[in-house]
Amino acid sequence: MNLLHVSRRLRPLVLGSWALGLLLSLTVHAAELPVVKLFTTGGTIQSKGAHRQKLAEYSDGKVSPEELIADLPELKQFATVEPIEISNIGSPGMTTELLLKLAKGINAELAKPGVAGAVVTHGTGTLEETAYFLHLTVKSDKPVVVVGAMRPWTGISRDGPFNLLNAVRTAAAPEAVGKGVMVLLNDTIHSARFVTKNNTYRVETFVSRELGPIGYSDSDRIAFYRTPLTRHTAKSEFDISKLETLPAVDIVYGYQEASPAPIEGLVAAGVKGIILNDSAPSFAKATQFAQSKGIVIVQSDRKGSGRVVLSERTAGRGVITADNLNAQKARVLLRLALTKTTDPKELQRIFNEY
Amino acid sequence: MCTTFLRLRSTVSLTVLFVATRLAAQEIPPIAPPGLNLPHVVLLSMGGTIASQAPGDRLNITNYGGPGVPRVDPEKWVADLPDLALVARVTTEDFRPPANAPAAGGTTSDQLYKVAKRLQELANDSKVDGIVVTHGTNTMAETAWFMNLAVNIKKPVVFVGSQRPWSALSGDGPLNMYNAVRVAATPAAAGKGVLHAMNQNINAARDVTKLSAYRVQTFQSIDLGVMGVADPDIVKFYSEPTRRHTFKSEFNIASLPEKLPDVEVAYAYTEAPGYILDAMVAQGVKGIVVDGTGAGSPTGGPTGQTEAIKRAQAKGVVVVVTARTRGGRVQDTPRRRESGVIPADNLTPEKARMLLQFALSKTSDPKEIKRIFDEY
Repeated sequence: MNLLHVSRRLRPLVLGSWALGLLLSLTVHAAELPVVKLFTTGGTIQSKGAHRQKLAEYSDGKVSPEELIADLPELKQFATVEPIEISNIGSPGMTTELLLKLAKGINAELAKPGVAGAVVTHGTGTLEETAYFLHLTVKSDKPVVVVGAMRPWTGISRDGPFNLLNAVRTAAAPEAVGKGVMVLLNDTIHSARFVTKNNTYRVETFVSRELGPIGYSDSDRIAFYRTPLTRHTAKSEFDISKLETLPAVDIVYGYQEASPAPIEGLVAAGVKGIILNDSAPSFAKATQFAQSKGIVIVQSDRKGSGRVVLSERTAGRGVITADNLNAQKARVLLRLALTKTTDPKELQRIFNEY
Repeated sequence: MCTTFLRLRSTVSLTVLFVATRLAAQEIPPIAPPGLNLPHVVLLSMGGTIASQAPGDRLNITNYGGPGVPRVDPEKWVADLPDLALVARVTTEDFRPPANAPAAGGTTSDQLYKVAKRLQELANDSKVDGIVVTHGTNTMAETAWFMNLAVNIKKPVVFVGSQRPWSALSGDGPLNMYNAVRVAATPAAAGKGVLHAMNQNINAARDVTKLSAYRVQTFQSIDLGVMGVADPDIVKFYSEPTRRHTFKSEFNIASLPEKLPDVEVAYAYTEAPGYILDAMVAQGVKGIVVDGTGAGSPTGGPTGQTEAIKRAQAKGVVVVVTARTRGGRVQDTPRRRESGVIPADNLTPEKARMLLQFALSKTSDPKEIKRIFDEY
């Protein structure tokens, strides 16, 4: 039964009978169930379309955290899910303020001994940026799973419910401890460090290119195969507990005959760092000028897989290489790194380790 | 990481003075040898395309080697690759099958045992820092998996091969070998189980499989991915395996029986008959791996595999199921538990076969065997 399709008047009744039935069937286990905190930020997973066929246009309403939980009584087989709403927005609108609020909220909850893990709902467009931000700023070994959906909560064959259920299972799984922040859609568990969105609409959109997933959430078990080795969460040196904002860093795209104007514009705007998403000979003068103003330049690559290798030439120019981080993740890391240092050697160490 | 990037030109030039003339025109790779004490890497040849040649014919990349054609001796690799001396002190060992033996498909359990025993000795030899094993590519994933289960070792063990013979135009062998030695000489490569390094990628023995007949990117870890890369600047690891291996394995070459129990593989397809399984049972196998369709389904019907599985189980034969899709896990389901078949997780049938052989060398209890498939 889908709550969304039950009239508003009947909802409390239906909910009540569910609650009663579940209470009877689950009281025995309830005490032993792990507690998972559900932080909701919004996104497609919390969106409604005018009708079930609306899979690409769905700004006809929002799904509250309580509705997500009420629509998924099966969650109670795996965990006690307690919602905390951060926002209910599409992911392109995510802000530094909300990111800090989210990270601080997760840190506060995971510090409690009774909490097993956290799940974060998020729009998929910038999900990888938020997930990597949390990977660098959550101060706990407990599992944090960022989840989204490619189809709205109201769509035919919507992927959201199973994704959410599997995210909660993974956040409650002892095997998931110490693996950093994970991203889960389509039964597949990715490290926040490796994952990227790869397709506009398909349910298998999240991939970790050459590095691959670290596990799978199957019906029989949460099966892990890999432990990420880059620094994260409890081993991260970044501390946002006292921060109210982060240094401004923006991205410039490289292509044939790319204009240096965006770089000059960012210098004028007073950014602290610029990520070059690929390079162009026309960038050379502008980047040198930016550097003369103390702006840090990081070289990433638009191809989407493979490392930017360390080279004497790049290092000699004082440019930091982004390893295999894509530009948007290099930006997340640079913003945090700049809260600690502006020394190019130290920044390069950070890019090598995270 | 940063320090490894620094060039120690003077140290390098002292160490490799003898190759200086050959390298004069080349840029010295930016790998920092840790002082004058370069790591000692043992390069153990089990042969393969990387040890094959088509003398005088650089375009021959499909019909090389064979009877009467000289093979590439391990010493020739070292002589052809002065670059190795920048990253390791390499000594060679020859474990090739006899000259006229078939290619990688012909690797025998006798050879597997011999190499496993030697690797175990090298594990206990304090003068050895890492080991590279060359192998033909066709079954190298199986051999690497065997070592992953049977050798108690923390030092890097790196399997390498090539898709083109040593004599080929644009041969991939030299860079593969150079990188394999670099990985074996990298302390961060220790404790990650047996590794596979080709095409500048580092894969886990458990997960890697050969996916293309001739392309240089043939080795992939389907559903997973590479654990690390061997780039020109550094060898870098991004993840490590969580499943049991090498020094965490309950199996060891020292305690394996002289011969592992027989296990064979049956492939599933439309109307695949049960009598192939009956024939295996008649031959006295102790286990059968059925490479099922879809999520791991043997064929049904009165003449199909499902009925034959029941007959085999009645005779004490253990049946494991893999998925011929290659991607995805065979899951533990109530129906499978009822039918008594053991799901092989996401192992390929050839690796599931080997694990079942190891498991059957210790136990025939299905619960124990299921545990082994869950943990490795």
